Amino acid sequence: MMADAVLFEAKGVTKRFGGLTAVSDVSFALREGEILGLIGPNGSGKTTLVNVLTGATGYSAGNATLNGRALRGLPPHRICGLGIGRTFQVVKPFRSLTVLENVMVGGLFGRDDGGARDVAAARARAAETLALCGLGQHVDSLLAADSLNVPERKRLELARALAMRPRLLFLDEVMAGLNTGEIDEAVTLIKRIRDGGVTLVVIEHVMKAIRSLCDRVVVLYNGAKLTEGPPDQVLHHPDVISAYLGRRYKESKHA
Amino acid sequence: MPITIIVGAAVCVLLAAAPALLSPFLIQFLINFFMLAVLAESWNIIGGFTGYASFGNAGFFGVGAYTTGILLTVGKLPFALALLAGGAVAMAFAALIGTAVLRLKGQYFAIATLGVTETTREIVYNLNITGGGGGLSLPMVRSPLPFFYLMLAVLVAAVLINLWIARSRFGYGLRAIREDEDAAAAMGIPTARYKTLAFALSGGLAGLAGGVFGYWITFLDPGEVFKVSWTIRMIIMAVFGGAGTVLGPLLGSAVLVAIFEGLSTQLETLAELCNGLVVIAVVLFMPQGLIDAIAHRRLSPRKLLQNLRQYRI
Repeated sequence: MMADAVLFEAKGVTKRFGGLTAVSDVSFALREGEILGLIGPNGSGKTTLVNVLTGATGYSAGNATLNGRALRGLPPHRICGLGIGRTFQVVKPFRSLTVLENVMVGGLFGRDDGGARDVAAARARAAETLALCGLGQHVDSLLAADSLNVPERKRLELARALAMRPRLLFLDEVMAGLNTGEIDEAVTLIKRIRDGGVTLVVIEHVMKAIRSLCDRVVVLYNGAKLTEGPPDQVLHHPDVISAYLGRRYKESKHA
Repeated sequence: MPITIIVGAAVCVLLAAAPALLSPFLIQFLINFFMLAVLAESWNIIGGFTGYASFGNAGFFGVGAYTTGILLTVGKLPFALALLAGGAVAMAFAALIGTAVLRLKGQYFAIATLGVTETTREIVYNLNITGGGGGLSLPMVRSPLPFFYLMLAVLVAAVLINLWIARSRFGYGLRAIREDEDAAAAMGIPTARYKTLAFALSGGLAGLAGGVFGYWITFLDPGEVFKVSWTIRMIIMAVFGGAGTVLGPLLGSAVLVAIFEGLSTQLETLAELCNGLVVIAVVLFMPQGLIDAIAHRRLSPRKLLQNLRQYRI
């Protein structure tokens, strides 16, 4: 693996809903094996950006490439087939399927050259993936995914995405609603996923996690890119502190 | 599971041998049951596995019946060819309609498919080749046995297709679409193609049932063939037995046809009333269907009351 090869690039990505510009001219690049943090206040366009890049909604302008292949105009399942996975901020389990079946869908479909196209292979991979994500106790459960609690649903969302064998994975607030211990576990898990060869974009409000995970951070504000750089530098940037974290956070840090 | 296959094969052999022992009334009863079971299994593909409540399957039933009838009488084709063509045309019609209406969800999809059936009926009323409002007469076959075996064969095909869906990659895709279409697409499922294929399979099976039906009753009338109550019955039978399972729609149609036909020999109005009461009771107490209640032993009064509380709107 070439450590510095550009895997993914977004160029001038823009999304307008009528008169509202939700994402405005956002560009960034990702190198293979990198973890990029995507932060910004609520409503700054993070999830919309992910929706555009994964094909869930269309572009108003700009384009993105994966290994040089243009993504604009492709339907979500094609983008997924090329190797881009995502999780949803509001988790979307297949409620009446079992936990194992939820993850099996990831192996049965997912990346085009991801393997596990037959049911038995998908079942075996799903069991492995559940164990990796700390849901091993649910492998043989016949209960529907509906019966999981919130942290487990977050893990299931992650397990499904991993079973797709993505090259690039967008994690949309997988740590929201988790307690400190669970956040530490999630950070360890995400590092392990990266070590497995997956490039990651992590949307998160938990700054501790952003600091310990990310190689670089992109800050969105009102749909536009405010700044970009290493986490420590970006999080201390005065514009970022006042725009995103608010004045009081800045003062408490200097007190 | 080999046991399922052995039991299934044994049932088929018994049914194949049955006509020799049965009264003409029972043979007609079984043909009717086979047909309604095909319709319930056909609806199950799009309504049960995929979660799109189609109110248009009577339309595919009618298109299959009329295509077969016209090819048989006007086209002078052998029945086997006419029937296969009827199924194929119904399937193609469903695929065509599906590419448009499967973009809609929930009640909008239901209304659109209902509209397609009504429109198709009006078209059939106003064409010359269909005989219009005067109907289309088909040649008479004296023995009911060919229809018994034909309908049984179509039912076996319908159950096998459902069984394949339940275990295949395609079936996992359909169930994922039913549970959350956005998540399904993000996980690489070509949702539009899968839904259209499910709808086409559903329409094709309904069309085959229609083709056999027409030749069996020897007369096609647009008002009768395209009537909404066909659709209602297939939905009720599938949901009653357990939508999205393989055996649920089969069990549902067996129980409901038995109740309905059994009582109609006594008193027609009583049959209608009981049919309605049974449906209400099942929807309230066993919303997951009869097959689920039996499989998970949820038939005790306590469990039934628990269902009532859990699933009430």
